[in-house]
Amino acid sequence: MTPQRLDSVPVPAVGEVTQAGELAARAVAVRKVYGTGETSVVALDDLTLDLPRGQFTAIMGPSGSGKSTLMHCLAGLDTLTSGQVFIGETDLATLSDRERTVLRRDRLGFVFQSFNLLPTLTAEENITLPADLAGAAPDPEWFATVVDKLDLRSRLRHRPSELSGGQQQRVAVGRALIRRPAVVFADEPTGALDSHASSELLRFLRSVVDELLQTVVMVTHDPGAAAHADRVVFLVDGRIVLELSEPTREHILDVMGRLGEE
Amino acid sequence: MLKVSLRNLFVNKLRLFLTVAAVTVGVAFVSGTFVLSDTMGKAFDQLYAGLTSGQDVIVRAKAPYEIDVTTGGTQRPLDESIVARVAGVPGVVVAQGDVAGYALVLDKAGKPIQPGGAPTIGGTASGDDRLAGDFSYRSGHKPSGPQEMALDAATAKKAGFGLGDHVDVVYQGGRRTFTLVGTIGFGKTDSILGATFAGFDLPTAQVITGKEGKVDNVAVKGEAGIGAAELRDRIAAVLPDGVEVLTAEQVASEGSASVRDAMGIFTKVLLVFAGVSLLVGSFVIWNTFNVLVAQRRREVALLRAVGASRHQVLGGVLAEAALIGLASGVIGLFAGVGLAAGIRSLMKLVGAEIPTTTPALETRTVVAALAVGLGVTMVAAIAPAWSATRVSPMEALRDAATSSSVIGRLRSTAGWVLVGAGALGLVACAWVGNVPWWTTFATLAAFAGLVTAGPLLAGGTARLADHGRRGSGWRMAARNIARNARRSAATALALTIGLTVVVAVAVTAASMRSSITAAVNDGNRSDLILQPAGMGVGMPASVAAAMRERSDLGAVVAFRESGARVNGRNAFVTGMDTAGLSDVIDLGIESGGLEGLDHGSILVSDKKAEDLGVGVGDTLTVTYPETGAVRMRVAGTFSKGFLINATYVMGMADYAPNVTSKLDAAVMLSNAPRVDPAQTKAAVKKALAAYPNVKVSDPAELTKDARHSVDQMLGLVTALLLLAVIVAILGIVNTLVLSVVERTRELGLLRAVGATRRQVRTVVRRESVLMSMLGAVTGLALGTGAGVALSRALADEGISRVTVPVTTLLVYLVVAAGVGVLAAIGPARRASRVDVLQAITTE
Ligand SMILES: Nc1ncnc2c1ncn2[C@@H]1O[C@H](COP(=O)(O)OP(=O)(O)OP(=O)(O)O)[C@@H](O)[C@H]1O
Ligand SMILES: [Mg+2]
Repeated sequence: MTPQRLDSVPVPAVGEVTQAGELAARAVAVRKVYGTGETSVVALDDLTLDLPRGQFTAIMGPSGSGKSTLMHCLAGLDTLTSGQVFIGETDLATLSDRERTVLRRDRLGFVFQSFNLLPTLTAEENITLPADLAGAAPDPEWFATVVDKLDLRSRLRHRPSELSGGQQQRVAVGRALIRRPAVVFADEPTGALDSHASSELLRFLRSVVDELLQTVVMVTHDPGAAAHADRVVFLVDGRIVLELSEPTREHILDVMGRLGEE
Repeated sequence: MLKVSLRNLFVNKLRLFLTVAAVTVGVAFVSGTFVLSDTMGKAFDQLYAGLTSGQDVIVRAKAPYEIDVTTGGTQRPLDESIVARVAGVPGVVVAQGDVAGYALVLDKAGKPIQPGGAPTIGGTASGDDRLAGDFSYRSGHKPSGPQEMALDAATAKKAGFGLGDHVDVVYQGGRRTFTLVGTIGFGKTDSILGATFAGFDLPTAQVITGKEGKVDNVAVKGEAGIGAAELRDRIAAVLPDGVEVLTAEQVASEGSASVRDAMGIFTKVLLVFAGVSLLVGSFVIWNTFNVLVAQRRREVALLRAVGASRHQVLGGVLAEAALIGLASGVIGLFAGVGLAAGIRSLMKLVGAEIPTTTPALETRTVVAALAVGLGVTMVAAIAPAWSATRVSPMEALRDAATSSSVIGRLRSTAGWVLVGAGALGLVACAWVGNVPWWTTFATLAAFAGLVTAGPLLAGGTARLADHGRRGSGWRMAARNIARNARRSAATALALTIGLTVVVAVAVTAASMRSSITAAVNDGNRSDLILQPAGMGVGMPASVAAAMRERSDLGAVVAFRESGARVNGRNAFVTGMDTAGLSDVIDLGIESGGLEGLDHGSILVSDKKAEDLGVGVGDTLTVTYPETGAVRMRVAGTFSKGFLINATYVMGMADYAPNVTSKLDAAVMLSNAPRVDPAQTKAAVKKALAAYPNVKVSDPAELTKDARHSVDQMLGLVTALLLLAVIVAILGIVNTLVLSVVERTRELGLLRAVGATRRQVRTVVRRESVLMSMLGAVTGLALGTGAGVALSRALADEGISRVTVPVTTLLVYLVVAAGVGVLAAIGPARRASRVDVLQAITTE
């Protein structure tokens, strides 16, 4: 991984640094405004973003910059004020609530910062939950692959309350992957973990992308975490202000420092 | 603390509503019962006071023991010469003899006007105006002579009779036509509490009631200035033995006291039903508070951490309970007044008019409603409140893990032991029979066991359901049931109580039905049975007389019944024709025999004989309300009196001289040899055309009618018990709502990872169905056991067979599952509408 030269700030180009290939998901001129009138907040401001298949994208930015909102909009959990979101070729706006639900179940994975698992289900049951909801048995080979990749084999029969925080997040990743989704969204998945568990989870995410050829988008505040990604997108006030390919920790710190000065 | 409690109350309005409703239903039942019986009591008071308001004292026969509505029987009529004797007492302005008895008015179509539950009275209506009191003519004039009659204005209006119309009356001697010359009102109302009243002049009334030359009592008005007590004493001096004189006030209060006594039984029965729904309600409350306390552990811990004492925590929870209890009390009180008004209009529909006194809301009712509402809620909340005080301040700092529902080994052992002991007890009770109290006790023990072992049962149910198809929702529902096993168990057990009672009643009723069939098949030998139609009390003796004339009939046996005392105990004695008796009925003679049933002897049911410790040849004392004590020899004992509901049987020759009423309660007929039964039946019906109040049935119809009346009673009792079941359903809804609110985040997460709204609804519905099935199965099992034991306990009341109505029970099971689905509708919708983003983003 060679660090990419940082020419100027901000870098306006979008998709410029992406590799060739199909897009797993795409946001086009997305605007999200909360509230109306004087109290309205523009969370996403005319934002366009391509997510190429097989890439690990990190999204960074100061608190309140719209990272979570972006994730929710991409995952069809929240509606847009204007603009479009595509998962593959599907325009989310054309889907009903039910269809969006089924799309989340079959084509998207989600990992939250905490409270990812249903406390009544075992680790295995939590992982296979989307498959169960679809009324289908999970592909046993894929299940085995995911479980082994995430090193959860010995923990499958445990309830979430019997798992460590890091294990819980890995189970959540397993659940996100079980349907071979188009994209896995992870909103600060390491936010509640210590540094050891955190770097372990990141290595797993990395190998999920490299070896299982999945697409992962991750929000993080941690430059070290972002450094595991193929590219980092910086958000400020609901706009993309900068992108880095093949980032290093130092590079990211550098950018963050400069963004902070503005 | 109070502020915190208050705020908690209003956080979830639906929950508040459901919690209050759980107790309100029972309170409404209690206060409704009181209001109704007080209102009726007041109505009777006013009626008696009004009817005797023109009279100072009343002379009547002295009964050998106190008779009232519950004991049955009437006072002996006096020779009418007594009237002149009383009139001669100085200070008496007017003395007048009156009689009253049975007279059934027929409508224009010739159908009997038979009110449901109120008597059909015939009596004097031509008395002196000075004595009339509230008794007044609305139209026309007093009847005089053998052709004229008056009617109470309500009946006249209902039947469309006008002055000058011909009115047919069936009386104990037969049937006669009169001309209507007047209509009567009683104070503000047009009828005597729904009874029909046919009025005549004294000689005609004496004929109609079979009291020629007699009067029931003498009403007296004295000169102004002489007190009623003084007048009473003066008259008492001239009266022969066995005749008493009372002030009108005494008679009125005696009358209302007797009615109130009778209503006391009715009130008690209703209060039992109220008790059942209160018990269920207290379960719901207990459960609700348990959940609330569990949900608020962190909040309570925080309060404790910032310095609230255990005392204050306890007070806070109890204050919340008190508010809910008071609210239920007040709402239930008003609902009860409404309920009573509703029942009153219902009674008016069936012809039992209660005069329009305002609903009697007595202090006792208010106190009872508030005390019951408050008491039940507080008692149910004490244990949860206590557990709140044991929350340690440390829990505010820890991440509150959902408390585990596992119960200790001691508790589970105790639970199963209790269940086993209760079940064994029920089996023993069923085996032994005749032990209603032990049956109740065994049922309670088994139920207590279920309560104790409840969480294990809920866990077991969950394990059963855990094998559902992938994604079908059973598994997730099962896990939620298991997670809150205590809560699920308590919710289900509320339903268990309701269903136990409903099922026990159903089993008893089914046993009763099959016993009736058995009794008729077993004891009856007659071909036709004549009975009064509807709620009629009897048939004129002329009916049996007409039957005796017929050549196509063999035996004709008439039965009469009267309240009396046997060896000092209240009882009913039956008089019957001895000739042909064994042709129409098999009494199941156990000792002695019918041959011995001659003058001065009596047959006793074997159970009663055992009770009294008498056998063939011993002597009994029968005390009649009219004639006093008569000693009779026991001629035999019998075991099959159930068909005619008889305990003491004697020949008509012994019975008739002691009872003035000549009404037959039933006449049993056997066909003459070689006649066609169908033809005979038709001929008998035709011959009785003049008596539309007589119903002719063959044994099959008799069985059918009897079964029908059991079904009606079953329907009524089940309807009353349904209230308890409804409370239990409210409990299920409440538990579901609470757990949906509690699981908002989980539900949001579930939706976020791709559960459709429908799937979320399914999970909640399945939880509901699991809980209701747990309640239904335990209720059915316990209820069946209790019902069988109860049926055996009532063997003395004529339940000789035990039948378990399997189809009915299966229907209940299906209905319970349906109820589970219904109860889940609201909570499931709420769950499916959880805002996904809000659920997953809020901490
Ligand atoms: N439901 C909402 N209603 C109103 N405003 C909202 C809502 N959700 C988010 N916002 C606003 O939108 C903006 C973006 O919020 P968002 O949660 O996306 O930020 P973020 O980048 O994820 O921040 P953080 O790093 O703190 O998680 C913020 O200004 C926030 O206040
Ligand atoms: Mg965020």
